Amino acid sequence: MRIRPYRVAAAVAVACAAVALAACGGGGGGNAAASTDFQSKLSDKPLTLSFIWFEWPPAHALEELGKEYTKVRPNVTIKVNTVPIANWHDAIFTQFAAKKTNFDMPILDSQYIGEAVENGNILDITDFAKKYVDRSAYDPYFLAAYGQYPQTKTGEPTPNSRTYGLPLMGDTWSMIYRKDLIKQPPQTWDEMIAAARQCQEEHPGMSGLAFHQANATDAAAVTYNTVNGVYGGELWDPAKKQIEGIVNNAAGKKAMDVLVNQMKPLTPKGSGNWFIDEVNAAINQGKVCIGFQWIGAMPGLLDPKSSKLGTTKEEILQKLGFAALPKQDSDYVPLGGMGMHISKYAPADHQAEALNFMKWFQQPEVQTRWAQLGGVPGRKDVLASKAFLDAAPYNKVFTDSVPRLRDFWNLPQYAKLVNIQTTNVNAALNGTEKPDEALDKIASEQQAILDESK
Amino acid sequence: MADTTITPPSRAGLTAPPAARRFRHLTDGRLAGLFIAPALALLLFLSIFPLLWALYLSFTDYSATRDVPSNWIWFQNYTDLLSSAEVHQRAITTLIFVVSAIALQTLLGFTIAYLISRRTRGRGALTTLFLIPMMLSPVVVGLFWKFMLDAQFGVVNSFLTTLGLGEAEWLTDKRLALLSVIVVDTWQWTPFIMLIALAGLTAVPKYLYEASEIDRASEWLRFRHITLPLVWPLLLIAVLFRAIEAFRLFDLVYILTGGGPGVSTETLSFHVYKTAFLGFDTGRASAYGILMVIVVIVLAQFYLRYLNRLQER
Repeated sequence: MRIRPYRVAAAVAVACAAVALAACGGGGGGNAAASTDFQSKLSDKPLTLSFIWFEWPPAHALEELGKEYTKVRPNVTIKVNTVPIANWHDAIFTQFAAKKTNFDMPILDSQYIGEAVENGNILDITDFAKKYVDRSAYDPYFLAAYGQYPQTKTGEPTPNSRTYGLPLMGDTWSMIYRKDLIKQPPQTWDEMIAAARQCQEEHPGMSGLAFHQANATDAAAVTYNTVNGVYGGELWDPAKKQIEGIVNNAAGKKAMDVLVNQMKPLTPKGSGNWFIDEVNAAINQGKVCIGFQWIGAMPGLLDPKSSKLGTTKEEILQKLGFAALPKQDSDYVPLGGMGMHISKYAPADHQAEALNFMKWFQQPEVQTRWAQLGGVPGRKDVLASKAFLDAAPYNKVFTDSVPRLRDFWNLPQYAKLVNIQTTNVNAALNGTEKPDEALDKIASEQQAILDESK
Repeated sequence: MADTTITPPSRAGLTAPPAARRFRHLTDGRLAGLFIAPALALLLFLSIFPLLWALYLSFTDYSATRDVPSNWIWFQNYTDLLSSAEVHQRAITTLIFVVSAIALQTLLGFTIAYLISRRTRGRGALTTLFLIPMMLSPVVVGLFWKFMLDAQFGVVNSFLTTLGLGEAEWLTDKRLALLSVIVVDTWQWTPFIMLIALAGLTAVPKYLYEASEIDRASEWLRFRHITLPLVWPLLLIAVLFRAIEAFRLFDLVYILTGGGPGVSTETLSFHVYKTAFLGFDTGRASAYGILMVIVVIVLAQFYLRYLNRLQER
């Protein structure tokens, strides 16, 4: 038989197509809804339960906590894989797109849930949660924001919502102020700006403020949302799916004006691309009077090796004070933190182990240990406990802030919406767009995204 | 006289050796087909198939993450992209970047190559030294330039302050951010142009220079009428390669500025990335990619025709 070149090419093309089809087909062996009799599926063979998160101190704390879990389940090793924060969403959702994940438990930002649920990427754990989780032990806002979908109002649970995750790490912004330079933490946002300005004028070489301004993930967007909340603004009307005319109403414009024209001039030169690490570095270097940071990133402020504020943690704490965000026309603070979820594409024994980990994690003593390692737990009793409040000097800020939390939209379109917001707020902060124009652009572009999805 | 004529043995008495008999169905043609099959398979699997698949997806509203069937929407993605003000803005940014970066790299690369070619001692060491930036990963280059250009902690501003020139916001000022990306790209890729230009310069026949010396031609005349015309075609090929690379710039923008401030440094490739991975509009991102491939192919064709005409002269 004579082999003709076109036959070779055709055979290769068929093979390619077969491989591609196989790649496009569903992988993994899990079910869409978690079973409540997961314990019967637990394996005694060596197993690595892998998480995926972004690189920051709580990720290492979680791996450390995993050693406690290994004491209960000696055949299980907990591995927390991390990616740079800018790649966090993509690292998870590109694997979801391939319908095959190298992680069992994705740590999803509260706003990613909608996208993951609508695409069928994570397990429905409603029945599991009803049976094994004491939901009264949590602030309902946490359960809603970190695990439930859909929500008619951001963060608030609704009767029809299903559960897709449980709180892992609570978080919000804290105000960090130089208590050696500013005697009392400012109580209102206007007072805070005045105190920062005065401190900057009195201390040449220092800047009044440091906050997130970067054009990455939700950096600049959270900053605007915070000021928007403080000045009585709203991000949207969830019932009508309306953004235009709400985010850019009078309160929203006032917030943008305060951010760009009053706060930005008090920040260090060139800080227009700052995010978590840069704000920490500026505070550690003694370059700013007041900073705003996620609580989860604060262990970096107390490390004498990277701080010029003192040679010991105690010396640093003589200069740094932590307080809940000042109020103004309203008292919202941004909800950070994340829930833990289970990949639909993980093998069945890994899914069972993940559910067992979730059950184990709900225990008060485990959550207390989590707090001691640097995590922020979700249980109300632990948040109010002395053990938690004494574990870190900024933990009280979180406990005080819980009733004031407000989150973004947790819609499937979140990634597009937040990109519009971050890009345009960053543009306004760096002078490439006028504040009002940037806000109107945010409103119209976000509205177009929501209208497309109606 | 000895008889040197060799009488060939009769064919009837010959039998093929066992191995040849076993593989006699392997004719030259079949063997050639078998040899190229692995390379062809790789090419089909890694290049042709993804391209065709992307072409197919570009006519659909497919999303890689949504568990719903895609719809065939004909040229909707293409018309949306071609009429989008956002895409036009990114195209202008990309054009400014490509023209500025390539002009700068060509000028510097050729100048360095010309100066090196005139040296007799240390030419190899100098060439190796100049090539180092090109050997580095663009991500590594982006990261260390990001640190160096940082307005507060960076060595560049520190140096400028020492000289009394003040500080600049290299990565966050809308007028400087794109310039910074151009400078970093130039730092990394000038050696490529230099290398090609150096190859061209060393290939210029010595006798042409000797003849021009006899004719008492000035240095400028020699450069204008001998060096440049002979190196020019090779230089243009280097420019073509660099222009294609620059046209799809992504890594440096991603690391250095994230496309900011605002969208002032967002290139087409960066915008494709956002389209593909923020919201996973896979169909539209595929159309975007196909459009970029078409632009490169069309421009490269014009360029190659010019190059061919130049060589025919």
